[in-house]
Amino acid sequence: MHELAIASAIVERAQAVAQANGGGRVLKLGLRVGEISGVDPDALTFGIDALCRGTPLEGVALEMERPKRRQRCAACKTEFEPEGFLVACPACQHQTSECIAGTELDVTYIELEDP
Amino acid sequence: MRVAVEEKVLSENDKLAMRLRARFRAHRVFCINLISSPGSGKTALLERTLAALPAQARVAVLTGDIQTENDARRLARAGFPVKQITTGGTCHLDAAMVEKALADWQLADLDVLFIENVGNLVCPTSYDLGEHAKIVVFSVTEGEDKPLKYPSIFAIAELCVVNKVDLLPYVPFDLARAIANVRQVHPGMEVIETSCTQLQGLDAWLAWIERRRQRALTEPEGGEPLS
Repeated sequence: MHELAIASAIVERAQAVAQANGGGRVLKLGLRVGEISGVDPDALTFGIDALCRGTPLEGVALEMERPKRRQRCAACKTEFEPEGFLVACPACQHQTSECIAGTELDVTYIELEDP
Repeated sequence: MRVAVEEKVLSENDKLAMRLRARFRAHRVFCINLISSPGSGKTALLERTLAALPAQARVAVLTGDIQTENDARRLARAGFPVKQITTGGTCHLDAAMVEKALADWQLADLDVLFIENVGNLVCPTSYDLGEHAKIVVFSVTEGEDKPLKYPSIFAIAELCVVNKVDLLPYVPFDLARAIANVRQVHPGMEVIETSCTQLQGLDAWLAWIERRRQRALTEPEGGEPLS
């Protein structure tokens, strides 16, 4: 349940961006929450809704990208999306690979009401 | 009007963590972050670790819990500097808590800093504390499928300590399958089996720390966060 702390960081960022861009109402937040970011999208949505209630952000829409986990094989450099947590390279069966996507936890954009 | 932001949600934490990492590097302090479920034996492992060290060892411990100073009291018996971080409800440590806890310690006096995170296999995974390595502790009373149920921490930790192995005769825990599950999530992951009551595996654990510390000192850019 660290989603509330993360939601709070997102809401603070949105408020700061709104302030810096003329103070318009925040309509929509773009987020990127990777498959293995450790953050549950439903709990995050719940946290953002709860924190925005009674503020100028109330009712803000969320657009959440959910990047899949991607690995790059240490031997042949093939990039692949592992099935579950079986991470052998599908091309050469090598067992070691590095994670290149799926851990994202980003704010991508903030949409404001036009002044 | 759409304003492009493109930044990490935890960028504030990551900035503080990078600052801590730079301080650890400047003072040649090796820092490890112990993560596990509640009750898997992080404090017991640290008690045994501290007890095994010579009195002049330059080590210290930060220990996190939601409430109580109990762990700090247990660990302070060894005579090394120990500080409790009580989060008051937060389920993980973050870099700001670590920075604040270190404020009145001289890093120049330390070689190793142990951070015992709040007992939780999920949330501490997301927070970089500037450490060189995250270590996951996994006990044989927990069920051998923990790595499959909570894969993220097993995927990013450098070492898995399987603790309480003295209880293996009494619990339905298949050690070989558990280790296979760890390596399914994290191929090639190092595993050390320990018992803190029967003093098994502690030499291997201490040797791992020293080996990893030497590597951190010779490759000072190592231990970067995963993402």
